[in-house]
Amino acid sequence: MATVHGLHGRLRVPAGRRGAVVILAAALAGLLAAPPLPAATKNSCVDCHRELEPEMARPIAEFGRSIHAARGLECTACHGGDPTDEDITAMDPDKGFKGRPSRDEIAALCASCHADAAYMKRFNPKPYVFSIAEWKTSVHCKLESEGDKKVATCTGCHGVHDIRSPDDPTSRVYHRNVPETCAACHNPEYMKGRPGKADQYEQYVGSVHGIALLEKGDLSAPACNDCHGNHGAAPPGVRNVAHVCGTCHGRVAELFGASRMKAAMDEAGMPGCVTCHGNHDIQPPSDDWISTAEDGACGDCHEPGSTADRATQSIIAAFRDLDRSIVTTDSLLQRAEVLGMATEYGRGMLREASDQVITARATLHSFDEETITAVAADGQGLVDRARDAAEGALRDWRNRRVGMGVSVVVILLLIALLLAKIRSMERPATEH
Amino acid sequence: MKRRRFLDWLIRISGTVLGGFVLYPVVRYLVPPRIPEAASRRVVAAKVDELAPDSYKIFPFGGNPGILIRTEDGEYRALSATCTHLDCTVQYRDDENVIWCACHDGKYSLDGKNISGPPPRPLEPYAVHVQGDEIVVEKTKA
Amino acid sequence: MLVRLRDWIWERLGLEPIVAIAGHKEVPLHRHTFWYYWGGMTLFLFGVQVATGILLLLYYRPSADEAYESVQFIMTQVSFGWLIRGIHSWSANLMVGAAMVHMFSAFMMKAYRRPREATWLSGMVLLALTLGFGFSGYLLPWNELAFFATKVGTDIAGALPGIGHFMLVFLRGGEQITGGTLTRFFGFHVAVLPAITTVLLGLHLYLVQRHGMSVPPSVEDTGGPRGAMKFVPGFLLRDAVGWLAALAVLALLAALFPWELGQKADPYAPAPAGIRPEWYFGWMFQTLRMLPAHVLFLEGELVGILGIGLAGLLWMVAPFLDSPDGRGGRARLWTTFGWLAIVYIIVFTLLMYRGGGGH
Repeated sequence: MATVHGLHGRLRVPAGRRGAVVILAAALAGLLAAPPLPAATKNSCVDCHRELEPEMARPIAEFGRSIHAARGLECTACHGGDPTDEDITAMDPDKGFKGRPSRDEIAALCASCHADAAYMKRFNPKPYVFSIAEWKTSVHCKLESEGDKKVATCTGCHGVHDIRSPDDPTSRVYHRNVPETCAACHNPEYMKGRPGKADQYEQYVGSVHGIALLEKGDLSAPACNDCHGNHGAAPPGVRNVAHVCGTCHGRVAELFGASRMKAAMDEAGMPGCVTCHGNHDIQPPSDDWISTAEDGACGDCHEPGSTADRATQSIIAAFRDLDRSIVTTDSLLQRAEVLGMATEYGRGMLREASDQVITARATLHSFDEETITAVAADGQGLVDRARDAAEGALRDWRNRRVGMGVSVVVILLLIALLLAKIRSMERPATEH
Repeated sequence: MKRRRFLDWLIRISGTVLGGFVLYPVVRYLVPPRIPEAASRRVVAAKVDELAPDSYKIFPFGGNPGILIRTEDGEYRALSATCTHLDCTVQYRDDENVIWCACHDGKYSLDGKNISGPPPRPLEPYAVHVQGDEIVVEKTKA
Repeated sequence: MLVRLRDWIWERLGLEPIVAIAGHKEVPLHRHTFWYYWGGMTLFLFGVQVATGILLLLYYRPSADEAYESVQFIMTQVSFGWLIRGIHSWSANLMVGAAMVHMFSAFMMKAYRRPREATWLSGMVLLALTLGFGFSGYLLPWNELAFFATKVGTDIAGALPGIGHFMLVFLRGGEQITGGTLTRFFGFHVAVLPAITTVLLGLHLYLVQRHGMSVPPSVEDTGGPRGAMKFVPGFLLRDAVGWLAALAVLALLAALFPWELGQKADPYAPAPAGIRPEWYFGWMFQTLRMLPAHVLFLEGELVGILGIGLAGLLWMVAPFLDSPDGRGGRARLWTTFGWLAIVYIIVFTLLMYRGGGGH
């Protein structure tokens, strides 16, 4: 037996004529068993690694599914080397082989293509061009440059060989998968020993946004990157919070931006919307917040008995009245409907009033008592019209009963008269 | 004899009154109501001169709100006013010439196509006809 | 002037023979004379149904997309639409009730004896037609309760041996209840059933005039009727009193217990709890519900259907099975059968409303 170092590593190959037949047979079997490669390209990386133990073979399968492969790139694009060389010399540094990049080389490696606008345009006329400047604003970049070995780099979020387009639902950076991807590091265990809390993911999952995105599948709901950025990931500055929230909550941010509250918060260094709403664990707001009491949101800065306190009380009163009157009017309308009366107009008014409830809560963010109570009063006007319609319907119904009552009386009268007629007809003849 | 005639007369009178009580609802019933058919497919949304150009109106349509817009060049557009994101009622913004939802900043073109923000689907468009002095909105066959 | 008009019509229509018959018609007076009014009551209520039904036809739309909305339209937009619809719905129930009183009283008085067998048979068919009117009309508002009640009812028809599946498909216009069922039921309700009813009603009324009023054996055996009342004006005036009373009851019912619109039918929604048919099918429904899943080797439901069918058949051919003069042991047997039927039906109807058990 001879030992040959070559394409299949160390193999024991039979020698002699019998060996030649065996080799021929083995080669034929090998040719038939191997998947057909495009005739022109010879890729020794794939051919060799495919035969190795799972850990070395996995990248081949993974890469096959990736967007890089779909765009026609090969292993050499990142690793260099010579894929036409069937020997181990394919991995010769002199032939450009870079091997496995070290952690701090990754960002530069990826950026070598992705930050090159001209190169990216070859694949997509409107490419996303990675911005190194943006990356430098991120906390990840800052920590990495300080030598942090655990912080995220490109491969940490995007994967290594199985990178897919963010539009692909199986991608780790597909919108709905983003929270889970971030949580791979941002969890208490991984972040042990670092300053700050690590429970953001847990909080987010239970929040309005988390439930909307992850449970209800509402793709318009924000994931981590919508507020923190992608490659420039960092918490928004205190003064910028309202802008971040305002990308979706435009009306509210507009009102807040023009309010005295924003100016005061900026001065005090308070984080805008987050002050009352939280950041990761955002829950549906409650009217109870509008007070200077214990469970209210205003008490942190405003004293009970102050002008602000009085304002909260009048606002709360307006909101509560509006809500309550909507409920009572709704049951009035229901009663009319069960009785079979027309309630379309009333329902329409009530629906508009309910819209006003939403508008009133939004207008709260102007923090101007007059404006807010005016909107609530508009809503109240609509509810009043709905209630009038409902009461009118119920009144009509009562009138019907009166009408029927009168006709029944007439019928009874006629019955009495007929009975009298029958009696008079059948009385003995002498009486008439 | 007189009593008999009186009785007969009373019977005739009350019979006639009852006849009136029966006939009156029937005659009223036969007269078509103001709206000739259920407003679930077709409704009068406004009068011809009610809306100024570049303004809008929310009108009830089969239990849900519809939006009637009169564009700057005087044309009418009608669509469903229920935002396809989370069911808020939309409005028309004359500064941007778009249909806007105040809840999460969703925007639609005047054709109803969702062009910005969270709304996942377009607004259902309706057909608008001008009949005499009425603007009639009708659901398109679906 | 009116007199001249009347004379002109009189001369041309030639109504003298009818007037003569009416003038001669007499009604026997005895302790059971009260029951003679119920045929006329049923006829009156039928007239109310025809009148209100025609009025409803002016606004109703028999398609799954529009039926519910059109009824809603009638109830809310059309002047007095609520009244017409309410009377139509209530009068349907009163009419079935009156028909059943009429039938049971005729049975107990053995009015089906010779020569009135054909009257009885045509009456039984008329009762079946009335129930058909009720069943087909009930679906027309296309609300949840109606939809599922129809489903249950046609399912039962489908359980008949042999012809069951055909009956189900024929009634439903397909395998499932769809808009096609609605259109079909509408056709039955406003055209097919009225046409057949007109013919049979004509026959039934003619036969009643031909044979006159039957006197029950018990009266015949105790000295006979004490006299006779002329149909015109005596009986007719009393009829009118009854009809006016019925009208008053209808007005009160329509005003105090308005007929609900319900929820629009959704064929894909699961059946709501507690579906049941209208009261006049109640005893049948309750019987089927209370039968065990299997009786011997047969399915319980099938046993129930066959049992009810057999009872109905016996009931129908009573004239031919009971003793010809209505006296004797056999006659008493049939009288007992009658009482049992009445009690059974009342009890089981009430049981259905109490929500009596069953699988």
